[in-house]
Amino acid sequence: MKIIVCVKQVPDAKDVRLDPETNTLAREGVQSIMNPYDQHAVEEAVRLKEKLGGEVTVLSMGPPQAVDVLKQAISCGADHAVLVSDRAFAGADTWATSYTLAKAVNKIGAFDLILCGKQAIDGDTAQVGPGLAIQLKIPFVTCVQKIRDASESELVMERMMDDGYDVVAVDYPMLLTVVKDLNEPRVPSLKGKMRAKKAEIQVLSAEDVGADSAKIGLAGSPTQVVDVFPPPPRGERAILSGSIDEQVEQLVEKLAAYL
Amino acid sequence: MLIVDKELCVGCGICEDSCAFGAIEVVDGIAVVSEACTLCGACVDNCEVEALRLEGVEKNVQVDLDNWNGIWVYCEYRSGSLSSVSLELLGIGRKLADARGVKLAAVLIGADTGDTADNLIAHGADIVYRADDPGLAYFTDETYGAVLTDLIKQHQPEVVLAGATAIGRSLIPGVANTLGAGLTADCTQLDIRADDGALLQTRPAFGGNIMATIVCPSSRPQMSTVRPNVMKELEYDAGRTGEIVDVALEPAQLDSKVRVLESVQAENDDVNIQESDILVGGGRGLDSEKGFELIRQLASSLNGSVSASRAVVDAGWIGYPHQVGQTGKTVAPKLYIACGISGAIQHVAGMQSSETIVAINRDENAPIFDVADFGIVGDLFEILPKLISKIEGYQKS
Ligand SMILES: Cc1cc2nc3c(=O)[nH]c(=O)nc-3n(C[C@H](O)[C@H](O)[C@H](O)COP(=O)(O)OP(=O)(O)OC[C@H]3O[C@@H](n4cnc5c(N)ncnc54)[C@H](O)[C@@H]3O)c2cc1C
Ligand SMILES: Nc1ncnc2c1ncn2[C@@H]1O[C@H](COP(=O)(O)O)[C@@H](O)[C@H]1O
Repeated sequence: MKIIVCVKQVPDAKDVRLDPETNTLAREGVQSIMNPYDQHAVEEAVRLKEKLGGEVTVLSMGPPQAVDVLKQAISCGADHAVLVSDRAFAGADTWATSYTLAKAVNKIGAFDLILCGKQAIDGDTAQVGPGLAIQLKIPFVTCVQKIRDASESELVMERMMDDGYDVVAVDYPMLLTVVKDLNEPRVPSLKGKMRAKKAEIQVLSAEDVGADSAKIGLAGSPTQVVDVFPPPPRGERAILSGSIDEQVEQLVEKLAAYL
Repeated sequence: MLIVDKELCVGCGICEDSCAFGAIEVVDGIAVVSEACTLCGACVDNCEVEALRLEGVEKNVQVDLDNWNGIWVYCEYRSGSLSSVSLELLGIGRKLADARGVKLAAVLIGADTGDTADNLIAHGADIVYRADDPGLAYFTDETYGAVLTDLIKQHQPEVVLAGATAIGRSLIPGVANTLGAGLTADCTQLDIRADDGALLQTRPAFGGNIMATIVCPSSRPQMSTVRPNVMKELEYDAGRTGEIVDVALEPAQLDSKVRVLESVQAENDDVNIQESDILVGGGRGLDSEKGFELIRQLASSLNGSVSASRAVVDAGWIGYPHQVGQTGKTVAPKLYIACGISGAIQHVAGMQSSETIVAINRDENAPIFDVADFGIVGDLFEILPKLISKIEGYQKS
């Protein structure tokens, strides 16, 4: 079984905040982390490998420092890591990202399964997984919350829906995007950390993966960010007064219309 | 690429502050651009000495942008019912279509859709493309995607909108990628620019800490998924007229490698919190799973449903379908009572359009009070039992 997991390095979103005084982003000490959903994708890949045998390759597109998240994945049980990195990727939207990742996957070679996180917490788009599957012309299932049965030929799984879940079966090759309910990611073992330290990470440029320069970076992106601004300000504070009993009394009166 | 003219740059740092992506830093008195740059151009506009410029970012404009016309809404139909976001999208779609002087079309895909198409017309659609077939009873990305993609190729709409639901956020990315179209996820505001018909798509980014406006300058259709409960549906008007087009399906369109074995509805019928008029939300202030008992009691006394912050969903006190916020659901009930919820921006993003907001929190500085219409500062374990008995007493009288 050959499994590829796409992992992205993202700023820890809870650290990204607007400075209320200056209305600019306060970024001091913002940590870069592995996208949380991708940790679950790595974990599931390693579990499937342990069950069915095979190899796990982790793949990321990003700046040179993204090797950190690839090493983290190796410390958690992945076997190989590939980073596609090139200044020419700057400004890539989800279309250009999925095109680039598809080129990299083709370069890596044959695979049975590709796992992605449901979404990356910096953009929250959830578009790269399906986009990558389309580029590779393979079926995909999004928001997988449980793998019920994994065999050499197919996966049976639950995909989360708004009103419950669907149970679906798919033959390899396929691409899945995963949610957090799927599993509990392991903490890296000491041995894993040693392996990660020594691991060779293959770094590929746009040219190495044979990407068409018109289809990568901003030039290859149909969408473009034209403005960023702080969210609208909040309203006035409105706190009731009096003893707790009086406040409850007032509240029930105010809510009469809803009772 | 973003170019810094080293001669002109005075190292003032305005660009550093105006960059939402943390991609510029002043080093030794000169702005230095990192890989994080998305080429959005915010810094270029803000640079007072014109030391910054974008180069080599002109795109190959699709020559026939003008051949694409009309506003489309994908209307989600599942298990015998239409999602309410479909009607909300017809509301905003109608506005966009009127602003452009074009038609508004709805795409309805499913099985046994009955009189749904008429309902879509009564809610604002001029045309309904209806693909109704037993082979479309269950949603799969491949079948629904094939039908929608082929319709778009054939009719060339300038805009395609869909709900940012589990289905919309799976189906639409695949369709957009096949078409090479730009897609913006989770929009909360849509406008159309009069001169060139560009759809201005605004959405929260970085967990709601900033808002971003996105356009698709050189490709069509312009596609967006839109959060439920942010757009307003039009009044049902049986007098509206429109055309229903039954789509002829090819066998290949009904073929899917994903086999749906079963579709399971959550047994809790209060799970679909987006449909509730009254929500009682619980947060970490409840102390434990047991705290939710009080929330359930209050909800049931009001005939409402239970929602939650992400902190308690992560803690496993209640299931994900109840989560409100940036990474949960957007809700807009008539009444939202937040109990022991601090009011982090990511939570507020999902409930701020509620008609009336009540907050109960023992910390008078909790940001939830900034969005509340009525706030009580105090211990929820003292307040909630009193509130429940008052409400029950009120209802009896
Ligand atoms: C990318 C990203 C996405 C996110 N998405 C979401 C999302 O979709 N939804 C969401 O909710 N959050 C989301 N969050 C998390 C969010 O930032 C907050 O961490 C979370 O909402 C906090 O939940 P809380 O208010 O229950 O807990 P806390 O922040 O811990 O607040 C608990 C509150 O309870 C009060 N309290 C304690 N005891 C009592 C008592 N006895 N009586 C009365 N009051 C009491 C406290 O004063 C406090 O204000 C997201 C975060 C990130 C970074
Ligand atoms: N630059 C990237 N490198 C590797 N994987 C990525 C990248 N961007 C997105 N992904 C994958 O696609 C998923 C969805 O990301 P997004 O569509 O950006 O929300 C992530 O969880 C990753 O698995």
